[in-house]
Amino acid sequence: MILPIGPIHPGLKEPLRLKLQTEGERVVKAEIEYGYVHRGIEKIMEGKTWQKAIYLSERVCGICSYDHTQTFAETIEKISGVEAPLRAQFLRVITNELDRIQSHLLANSTFFKCLDHETLFMQVLDMREYIMDSIELLTGNRVNMGWNVVGGVKMDADERLFKPILDNLKIVEEQLPFTRELYAEGPVVGLRSKGVGLMSKKEAIKGRAVGPIGRGSGIKYDFRQEQPTYVDHLDFKPIWRKEGDNYARNLNRFDEIPESISLIRQAIDNMPKGDYRIPVDIKTGFDTHKNEAPRGEVTYMIETNGNLIKHISIRTPSISNIDACARYMLDGVATVADAVATYASSDPCIACTERVAIVDEHGESVKKDFYEVI
Amino acid sequence: MLNTLKDIVRKSSIHVCIVNCGGCNGCDVELVALLSPRYDLEQYGIYVHNNPREADVLLLTGAVTEQWVTDLKKIYDKTPEPKIVVSVGNCPVSGCIFNQEGGKVYAPASNFIPVDASIPGCPPRPTEILEAILAVGPDAIAQRGREDK
Repeated sequence: MILPIGPIHPGLKEPLRLKLQTEGERVVKAEIEYGYVHRGIEKIMEGKTWQKAIYLSERVCGICSYDHTQTFAETIEKISGVEAPLRAQFLRVITNELDRIQSHLLANSTFFKCLDHETLFMQVLDMREYIMDSIELLTGNRVNMGWNVVGGVKMDADERLFKPILDNLKIVEEQLPFTRELYAEGPVVGLRSKGVGLMSKKEAIKGRAVGPIGRGSGIKYDFRQEQPTYVDHLDFKPIWRKEGDNYARNLNRFDEIPESISLIRQAIDNMPKGDYRIPVDIKTGFDTHKNEAPRGEVTYMIETNGNLIKHISIRTPSISNIDACARYMLDGVATVADAVATYASSDPCIACTERVAIVDEHGESVKKDFYEVI
Repeated sequence: MLNTLKDIVRKSSIHVCIVNCGGCNGCDVELVALLSPRYDLEQYGIYVHNNPREADVLLLTGAVTEQWVTDLKKIYDKTPEPKIVVSVGNCPVSGCIFNQEGGKVYAPASNFIPVDASIPGCPPRPTEILEAILAVGPDAIAQRGREDK
């Protein structure tokens, strides 16, 4: 039997159709249908100045909106051959990590909502509000921050802002171990998530899983290890687990939060003095830049013509994570309720994915198995 | 007597369905934040269920993309009477930033279904969304229920 779930469904926050082929309750095969949120964002960006395009890039995705602007700004800086001042880089680290914490907490809360575990859901969302407060204090907005510009950040920050942020982080740090223990050692959550939605390391590589999804399956790869700001100035170690089930993915996200908090502390303590923004003369050229977004690495390829964007293409982590979820995690899940929870554990963000359709030469969409290419 | 009873019941138990018809997700995140203990949507008798067949209020976000041109009306028709539609964010009102050359959006949403109230903002704060739902929701649903008779 083929069971369609979505596009509007209690378990899904965003529109997407999940087709499950079932035998009884057991899921044999899963397929995902996209296309509900395609807005043509790359096409709109073409021919615009960076001031307009960065505003659009923020609206590729609402949850990890910050990282899109940072990658966009850094790509243009790379093309122009300049580097943002060190103070701006440190301020970017603070916002990036705050954004990562709130995104991880939101992803975990969605998973707990799918398991109908209200206590954890409420606790995690309560913690998230303190992080949202910090983001609002620093940037002035809660979701779409408008914080990055080419050549630095929009505003400077000082002790008056850092102190309440540190206070908020302390509250989260105090609440987190209790919540993590409730999840990691509680019998109900363990039964519903241990051994469900398994994806081995080999499958994760084939499915191109990135971010906490890949790290939950044992891929020891965090793109922050290769970013100069993190490598040269900050002390940081990537978190990974080897189980590869729903339990590992969520625990991985929980464990990354203290690491992010420590990064913010280091950035505030070692904040260098100097400019927070420099003027940039934008050159004609083409370049690619990567960053570690909350869900994995996000890539921007930009071609500029004078100070106008000639062509832009964006690769977000969600597309590979959702595909890996459909192909490997949902394969052989015992019940349909677990299938929805497994889907939620892959931290899907549909607004990120909707820019590409693969068509053949007649303009018809192609369904091709890309997993065996490697 | 029966109407009064129905009014009381309708006012104190509102089921909400979030319909994302092609936005950036920011408004949906703020709607999830509404469920948190700080704002606590459920203390006002509002329950986010995300099932159009049981909903009293449709919360519309996003700038009507191509797939939603036909599907939005279907979702609206599946929702039982009395119902109201509240649009959240700039997108359902005007298409926001996506409604320009190159974009594939068909805003405003009021071209496809009747929209009773709009909350502009990109995205609006959770408190604003809550205020709007409470201001327009209970009385409008009760009134719609009486009009149908």
